[in-house]
Amino acid sequence: MSGPKLRKALVLLVSAGLALVTGCAGDGDDSAGLPADQQNSVAGGSGSGDGIRLGILGQCEGPFGGFHEDVVAGTTLALARFAGATPESSTSALEGFSGAEVAGTPIELVGIGCGDDTADRVVQEVRRLVEQLGANVIIGPLSGDEGIAIAEYAKSNPELTVLAGISGSQEQTLQVQAPNYFRFYGDGAIWNAGLGDLLHNEEGWDTVAVIADDYSFGHTSAAGFIADFCGVGGKVTHRVFPPLGTTDYSSYIAALPGPDEVDGYFWAVGGTGTQAALEAFVNGQGDLSGDQHAGNLFFNPDLAQALGTDIAGAYVGGFATLPADVRTPEIEEYLAAADETWESIPGSLSGNEPAPPSVAAAFGFFYGYYTAGVALVEGLEAVGGDVSDLDAFHEAIAGLTLDLPYGEISLDENRSGIVDVGLSRLALDDSGNVVQETVAIVPGVDQTFGGTFSPDTPSPGRDFPACEERELPWEGNAIPVVDGVPQS
Amino acid sequence: MKLREHLTGETLALAGLVLVLALLPSLATAFFVNFVMTQTLILGLAAATIVFLAKYGGMTSLAQLLMFGIAGFMFGNAALDGGARGLNLGWHPWAAVGFAILVTTLVAFVLGAVASRTTGIYFLMLTLVYGVVGYFVFAQIVEISGPGGITSIQRPELLGPPVRLYYAGLLLSVLAYAGFRMLGRTAFGLALQGVRDDPVRMASLGFNVPLHRALAFTLAGFVAGLAGLLNVWWNGQIDPASISIGPTLILLIIAVIGGMSSLAGAWLGAFVYVLVLTYLRDLPLVDRIGITEARFNTVIGVIVLVIMVLSPEGLTGIVQRLRGTTRKELGGIRP
Amino acid sequence: MTPAPSRLAPLRRPPVWVATVVAVAVAAWVLFLADGTPAGAAVDDPGRFLVTVLDGITFAGLLFVAASGFTLIFGLMRTVNMAHGSLFLLAAYVAIRVQEAMVGRSRNLDPADVGVLDWLVPLLAGAGVAAVLGLLIQQVFLQWNEGQEMRQTLLTLAITVVLADQMLREFGGLAQRMVWPGGVTHFFSVLGERYAVTRIFMLAIAVLVGVLLWLWLNRTSVGMVIRAGVDDRQMVRGLGINIRRVFALTFLVGSFLAGVGGVLGASFAGAAPGTDGNWLLNALVVVIIGGLGSLKGAAAGSLLYGTVVAFSPAYLPAQYSYYAIIMTFGLLALVLAVRPNGLFGRPA
Repeated sequence: MSGPKLRKALVLLVSAGLALVTGCAGDGDDSAGLPADQQNSVAGGSGSGDGIRLGILGQCEGPFGGFHEDVVAGTTLALARFAGATPESSTSALEGFSGAEVAGTPIELVGIGCGDDTADRVVQEVRRLVEQLGANVIIGPLSGDEGIAIAEYAKSNPELTVLAGISGSQEQTLQVQAPNYFRFYGDGAIWNAGLGDLLHNEEGWDTVAVIADDYSFGHTSAAGFIADFCGVGGKVTHRVFPPLGTTDYSSYIAALPGPDEVDGYFWAVGGTGTQAALEAFVNGQGDLSGDQHAGNLFFNPDLAQALGTDIAGAYVGGFATLPADVRTPEIEEYLAAADETWESIPGSLSGNEPAPPSVAAAFGFFYGYYTAGVALVEGLEAVGGDVSDLDAFHEAIAGLTLDLPYGEISLDENRSGIVDVGLSRLALDDSGNVVQETVAIVPGVDQTFGGTFSPDTPSPGRDFPACEERELPWEGNAIPVVDGVPQS
Repeated sequence: MKLREHLTGETLALAGLVLVLALLPSLATAFFVNFVMTQTLILGLAAATIVFLAKYGGMTSLAQLLMFGIAGFMFGNAALDGGARGLNLGWHPWAAVGFAILVTTLVAFVLGAVASRTTGIYFLMLTLVYGVVGYFVFAQIVEISGPGGITSIQRPELLGPPVRLYYAGLLLSVLAYAGFRMLGRTAFGLALQGVRDDPVRMASLGFNVPLHRALAFTLAGFVAGLAGLLNVWWNGQIDPASISIGPTLILLIIAVIGGMSSLAGAWLGAFVYVLVLTYLRDLPLVDRIGITEARFNTVIGVIVLVIMVLSPEGLTGIVQRLRGTTRKELGGIRP
Repeated sequence: MTPAPSRLAPLRRPPVWVATVVAVAVAAWVLFLADGTPAGAAVDDPGRFLVTVLDGITFAGLLFVAASGFTLIFGLMRTVNMAHGSLFLLAAYVAIRVQEAMVGRSRNLDPADVGVLDWLVPLLAGAGVAAVLGLLIQQVFLQWNEGQEMRQTLLTLAITVVLADQMLREFGGLAQRMVWPGGVTHFFSVLGERYAVTRIFMLAIAVLVGVLLWLWLNRTSVGMVIRAGVDDRQMVRGLGINIRRVFALTFLVGSFLAGVGGVLGASFAGAAPGTDGNWLLNALVVVIIGGLGSLKGAAAGSLLYGTVVAFSPAYLPAQYSYYAIIMTFGLLALVLAVRPNGLFGRPA
């Protein structure tokens, strides 16, 4: 009965044994010749100074899949403006570009990674860019957990240079501390800095209830607000974290105190939840009065186009750029440059239909990847285009101070951005659309919030940080903005 | 006997294939071996547990990726020391391996026992719910993972160079393949196939039907756990999104591409999946016909659609049909 | 291999007792003991308790609409339509587009701008598109391989993957929503707690759908054929009835119901990529609890699931409220331990 089976099994086992023998032989000291043993044989080529082989990590699937075009365009615009790149297409950035060169060093786009908002996938995409296509510089990724995974990848591949895209987690710089990982924008906590100062000291809020998505970005975003609001002397009375994918928010909303029991609410609920949670609030707690609410970037009208009009009056944290009412000459120049580079771009804010590139360029996703592109160009200029000495190149990038359209950006000792945060208020324009009006710019915000967060503290979570008063470097420094004009 | 000749030929072909795979690191690029083939072996090993349950037990399980994930999470919890999340037990890596496999196998036994009275479509849906519960357990309970997952997982020193991970995947794949095949001829395997074909008769013959199903599920969970360990060593991290509904369905799709009645098909399906995932966008033709890399899922979906329209037995079924051989063994795809 | 078939029968009884004990314990907890929870014991805060009950029932209405089409199709054709969630989401997107076109604004719609027709017409348009697409799927991919349940399931799974990707391309990744008509956007008071008419409206539509479905299945000749087909397909065929047409009709109606659910769902909670998977899962949970193929089961499953969704975040001790969603699925395990085929299900 089992004659052929047994023989077959034997053959298989012998083959397996053979495989092992071959494998172990290959693993010995003399195995350096095995191509598969050299983890990043191609990337090692960067040391020989044959130029920058750039890979961009975007997301073409998942909740931010619509922003794929935006983020690639961001980096492309930086290279078009400052490195002489020419896009291959006048209606899309995904076709790539040619002719980019800084100080005699060419920049070649070897590939665009296609993430889906998961860390697993982005690690595989970066490995494809680096190990298959030979990228030696990566710009990206887009979202928080991806950032931690890519920072870890950078740490174990020191010959790589990574400039983060717009990923908002704190840990990627504060905890991972990869020496070759640079972030030229703020993190998810930073974007809410100054909001607590404003609400407590200007609007007179003493108590606030916080409701945020129960995952890393929701925790981080809420942590920034709590650190700020508590830092200036306010009290957070409730923290409610509905899980991602909640459909009916009513029971979570019911856990919040009523509108007459607290001075205000801070919301960090994204996706379909932004509007669904607000509606559940109206259904269960009472009408929205805008000035009793504040939100993180999920309240940004570009992201939350489904928001009802009754939210007007609410305060909103920043997100890399400034709302459209602020128009300095630098911003005008930047947006005009975007419009000159392409005829149109099918960015996410226009529903992925062709639209003027400046629409996408004024938003954070595009801009984060733009700042990374500018940092790459200026870093190359600082070393005269010579990347043979990677340490010198990384040191040059870490020491950069970029003069960017939405404010100056430099890096802290963990290579994370020290940035200006623009706070705004939602308002109704003449045609009944919800728009942002800038109310203040908080200059020079860094990751630590005056010591609340440090490499030794845990990641932001459901109970961290605690509500404690603390000296905040930017308390009282906010520059008020009136009718789009900073009053400095 | 025709069957005998057929099997011998097939065996030789498989042995040859294994030999080629063993020599591959000297022949192919590092990327192909360490990325494409290693991922193929890991996913193939996991998908093979779906095929095993379907082929011998008549159970189409969507919980295999959960087992895969549990092993990964448990290893991360046990092996890491001072990471940002998880239990940080800081155990020796091989103790962590034992712990991870033990937990995975126990969970598989309990879940298998609960599911052992359901069959067919009900079993499929119940195991899908298992997968979802598992996702929420790891997403909500911050003590063992939390939404951010467990990062910076290192592999044991023995498997340091990436090529060794490839060989580990190859060895486990060969062992699992041979093991599953041999199991089909043991008393347990034969009884299991009897349970698949006619549970009522088997019960009246005195066999404990639920126990057989539960044990098969446990074994499949154990093997899927091994694949899950390889996966965290390969990927360096695991988070709840790794075992969410999307990847869960992808693993089933891999098994379907290869063919639910062919163990070897699991690895074939994984190979096709990884190839499409990695290389499709490199084809010069592809963006001409409007399929950019952004539409990768459409391509995978269409491939599965075409395969299922042509043959419910997947690629292996198509190959066999082309070769004009009729399969005596039915199985796998049955209600 | 231990012979123990006779042990099966007595084993069925204890779980029933377990379930009863659990139910009594839960009721006692909610009514008297739940002091350290977000909501507090029901005797201390009856308003909050009543609102939670209402939340559960109204959400159950939405669940029922979403699950009824799924269970209808399964009951007759034994096909698990994995594309159910995709049809749900597609109808939502289409309805949102139509509503935006009718109101003449593409963002920040206010209920005051939305008349009843601006909601009803998009509802019919969205559900109609879902129905046609569903019929198309059935005719092209499912009609010729009837009886091969797993193959059909996998075919619809592949269609889901393609549809999700194409919807991301067409409708983008940002959350969108359908807006309730201004006429139902009001509030009333229950024991001092504010409650929304929209939720009652949603429940009313669900009841209407349920009644119409019941009438269709029990008072029309087609409905009787469908019910007969659920019991014995071969017999129906033997009677000379063209069961293919009945299959097509069932799929059309089932997909239409998915679409109605999608539009209701988009009005209640918005639509975005991932909504499809969530609602496929919701429909699955409802029918696994209730029993596949049973309309009664779908109603019972919706009520039970809706109640647990509403109660667990409110009545779990505060430090455990993060595990509310795990509780929801704990309910499933409990039901399946007692009845492997669901409350009203029959063996496959």
